[in-house]
Amino acid sequence: MSTSNISDERLNLFIDKELDVDDMNEIHQILLHDKILRERVCQLKAVRELVGYAYSEVPVSRYEKGMHKRGSSIYRNAVAASVILLIGVFLGWGSYQYSPNAGSIISAENAFQYVANQASVDHEQRNFVLHIDSGDVKIVNAALNEADHLLATYRNANLPMKLDIVTNKTGINILRPDVSPYIERIKKMAADGHVTLFACQRSIAKASKQEGVDIIFMPGVNTDKSARDLIPDRLKDGWVYIKA
Amino acid sequence: MLNVKNRIAAFSLKAEFASRRSKLYRIAYSWCHDAALADDLAQEAIFKAIKNAASLRDVGTIDTWLYRILFNCWQDYLRIKGRNVEFVEMHDEGQTEHVDSYQQSQIVRRVRSSIEQLPMSLREVVTLSDFAGFSYAEIAEIIDVPIGTVMSRLYRARQALKQQLLDFGSDELVDMKLRRVK
Repeated sequence: MSTSNISDERLNLFIDKELDVDDMNEIHQILLHDKILRERVCQLKAVRELVGYAYSEVPVSRYEKGMHKRGSSIYRNAVAASVILLIGVFLGWGSYQYSPNAGSIISAENAFQYVANQASVDHEQRNFVLHIDSGDVKIVNAALNEADHLLATYRNANLPMKLDIVTNKTGINILRPDVSPYIERIKKMAADGHVTLFACQRSIAKASKQEGVDIIFMPGVNTDKSARDLIPDRLKDGWVYIKA
Repeated sequence: MLNVKNRIAAFSLKAEFASRRSKLYRIAYSWCHDAALADDLAQEAIFKAIKNAASLRDVGTIDTWLYRILFNCWQDYLRIKGRNVEFVEMHDEGQTEHVDSYQQSQIVRRVRSSIEQLPMSLREVVTLSDFAGFSYAEIAEIIDVPIGTVMSRLYRARQALKQQLLDFGSDELVDMKLRRVK
């Protein structure tokens, strides 16, 4: 099927995951080789993300004024990072790096789950930051599936890549041998040297305080940075951000 | 005992409604771009939801049900005021929390302005989809139109927004990025 046969109406259905599995897979396959179609998909996705972003911050309602608490620093930082992302979207749609499996972890509740930052992307090295802020089985499994898929895709294509898995909040638990069922899987994933693991320093401190014990992580986990510092740095450097 | 259970269930349901108030307010704001009106609409929707809680058959559909009430409140408002009501966009922008950087406010202003230029029927659908995250089927349920109409409206809304935002995508954003680097 050529690009011209795929209407924007159908692409809308595609980005909203409203097509059936066969149709989704068909477009996924075409996207791997069709730059023009990738640009069209990226444009539609960018519009969708911008609409979500436009109302992520609204005037505080009268009702909330008396009880409203300021959002967390992480959230504010994420908003700022997202702005950088969106600028990247507009500056470089043409170099959008499409991940065929990205849809599997996109949750419509968040405004910025998956946007590529093309502003300064290195066309030789593909860099991804996978952000996991939940220990929910469904979310973690989807995120790890996405990581496996990315690694396999770039390994098969013999392309260099880096993948940072950044965990915070309850997401840090997936890296704890005493509570996580994912340790062996993550070990295998990190074995080829393309994956770097991070547990948010702030989340560790919070968990340690709540549980009254030191939080122990699997070997190789970096614990010296907070997600709020790390993720914006990666985005500024042109990494592709994937939010689980 | 049954009475106690019913009261607990009713209390629980009220808590469910209340926990969604912020989201209701936000989506109402995306439609009307008026904080006070959005507040009233969200409050009215919660009030009606509590009053008509018995008609909620399946708690699993609470979001769709609640947003449908909100949408009906909005439609009632439009009917009373007339479709040609003019909204003053972002007149209370100064109260917006966190949208404090030049870059953010510029993008937000531009996107909201583009959304505001859409016909209301398109604005409602695109915000329910792209901001609230509802599926096509859920949107069809909320605004009570066939799913094909949702698809069509969403397509037209995104095409219009793409065109407007594409024009914005070069010089102004490059300028913003440079400002940020400085």
